Amino acid sequence: MTQPAHRVARAQAQRRRGGPVASETRWAWLFLAPTLIGLAILSAGPIMATLAISLTNWDLLTAPKWVGPDNFTKLLNDGRFIVAVRNTLFYTVISVPLGLVLGLGLALALNQRIRGIAWIRTAYFLPLVTSATAVGLVWAWIYAPSDGILNQLLRVIGAPPQKWISDPFWAMPAIILMSTWQGLGTGVIIFLAGLQGVPQEYYDAAAVDGAGRWGRFRSVTLPLITPSIFFTGILSLISAFQIFDQVFVLARPGKPTEATVTLVYFIYENGFKNFKMGYAAAASWILFLIVAVLTWLYFRTQRRWVHYQ
Amino acid sequence: MSARVASLATAPTRRRAPAQMLRAVRRWLLYAALIVGGLIMMGPFFWMIITSLKTRAEVFGTAPLSLPTGAHFENYATMWNAFPQGVTFGTFFGNSLRLALLCTAGQLVTSSMAAYAFAVIPFRGRGPLFGVLLATLIIPFQVVLVPNFILFRTLPHPFSESGNWIGTQEPLWVGAWLGGAFGTFLLRQFFMTVPKDLADAARVDGANPWQIFTRLYLPLARPALATLAIFTFMWTWNDLLSPLIYLSNLDQYTTTVGLAFFKGQYIGKWPEMMAGALVSLLPMIALFVVAQKYFVRGIALSGLKG
Repeated sequence: MTQPAHRVARAQAQRRRGGPVASETRWAWLFLAPTLIGLAILSAGPIMATLAISLTNWDLLTAPKWVGPDNFTKLLNDGRFIVAVRNTLFYTVISVPLGLVLGLGLALALNQRIRGIAWIRTAYFLPLVTSATAVGLVWAWIYAPSDGILNQLLRVIGAPPQKWISDPFWAMPAIILMSTWQGLGTGVIIFLAGLQGVPQEYYDAAAVDGAGRWGRFRSVTLPLITPSIFFTGILSLISAFQIFDQVFVLARPGKPTEATVTLVYFIYENGFKNFKMGYAAAASWILFLIVAVLTWLYFRTQRRWVHYQ
Repeated sequence: MSARVASLATAPTRRRAPAQMLRAVRRWLLYAALIVGGLIMMGPFFWMIITSLKTRAEVFGTAPLSLPTGAHFENYATMWNAFPQGVTFGTFFGNSLRLALLCTAGQLVTSSMAAYAFAVIPFRGRGPLFGVLLATLIIPFQVVLVPNFILFRTLPHPFSESGNWIGTQEPLWVGAWLGGAFGTFLLRQFFMTVPKDLADAARVDGANPWQIFTRLYLPLARPALATLAIFTFMWTWNDLLSPLIYLSNLDQYTTTVGLAFFKGQYIGKWPEMMAGALVSLLPMIALFVVAQKYFVRGIALSGLKG
């Protein structure tokens, strides 16, 4: 096909100039239109709206009433809120490192070229795609205080049965166990990809230097997959703060013991059961602040321990 | 090291045999450990299946690990019809399916459009805008739940009882048609790998950006689109909090809300509950078995580029 000369010339001229072309820019905004609307009204914009609403009392039936920072001072004196923050932090502090260590160990074990490895991996990944609601039901049954399998097994070995989810001590560990079981696959997948990116020459070099199994892990594998560890850490940190489904399903609907009230459950309860919009917004803003600050701190540690090739 | 090389070179085969055997033993131990671990991971699913086939008397009366005396599929029928107002579990299933498909379609269309603009078209403010979009990835969506709820409460709706969008399924899928950080990021990474010469050649042929996008970039991005489709489907199918907040009538419930409702209503009916949970999991399990490659790629990809 022959090209009209002027078109070729124009295209070349555009490329020479290198800068954006007016008509192209217009196309860009057209392609971006849905995303921009979404950003403005559903995600980035509402962050500010949350802050504004948090400075009011609003039950949705009457007009919002400006109360300034009252909701925040009330939150800090609200025993249930403090408990929710503490529970969420406890959940995060235990489940994130636990998931990282187990995920890394499993990835190392699964990083083999042996027959049937694909099937074995599938078993570890499957819980990942299931809903916390559906698997929460089976865990509720496992943890059932009267005849749950866990208590039946305990009885077999002569140990006293526990109330698990309704026991203030065991409730959160039980939730952590279920979430770790379900989320393990994410870390394993990311670590496996990281492990497969480690060049074989490095291992060969370490072997020449006389490094044993542990030495190779310490001096080759571990440093080279720190980017994967870093990323899995941030993923699990953010999702740990969002814990809700497990609590909602495992605990009796609407009435978990104080030990399983999490931040998001607290927001749900105040905003969408009691319709205290200002109060829920204030709690949301605190959730946002905690996640933002922790993410920032976490990123600041990056330079000290993450090695990029 | 040189000593080891020398010993390897000179050692007769009988010296090497124990080392090889040790390696084989270690390999089999690892094999066994991995399989046992895998069975433990699958344990809750086995337990779900077994319980769903038992009678309630068997559940409470027999030893914990006993198998059901027969396959009591009637649990599935009981669960299916356990809801008032002529609603069946099939209603929830249909709602979930419809929402998941609507969201998937919306994400594919709008995320790929945005990704194309970010990857291919140079325009002023591209970098900062992409940065803002990425930043929303780390914001828990619960943080904007209150303003979103209030927004949907002010939007008029011709067919809802409340007159606004609360109590309808619209808030659960309309947002998916307004772009998304994950999909845009994923597809942008992919579009960046397409050689610019191809687009230039098409442009010289007189194609406009829309034509280049639909005829050149989209067909090339099929694997990335499949990954995004699967993830969006999974997230929508598994979501609990949003449907819980926006839906009010039983006939609009998704499977997740339906299951939570079921648990609240029928305390202790474990066989029926397990049957319901299992049915609700089937689409995701089927999708995973068929498309595991895309799941793994999606998670690994987002991890490596992080």
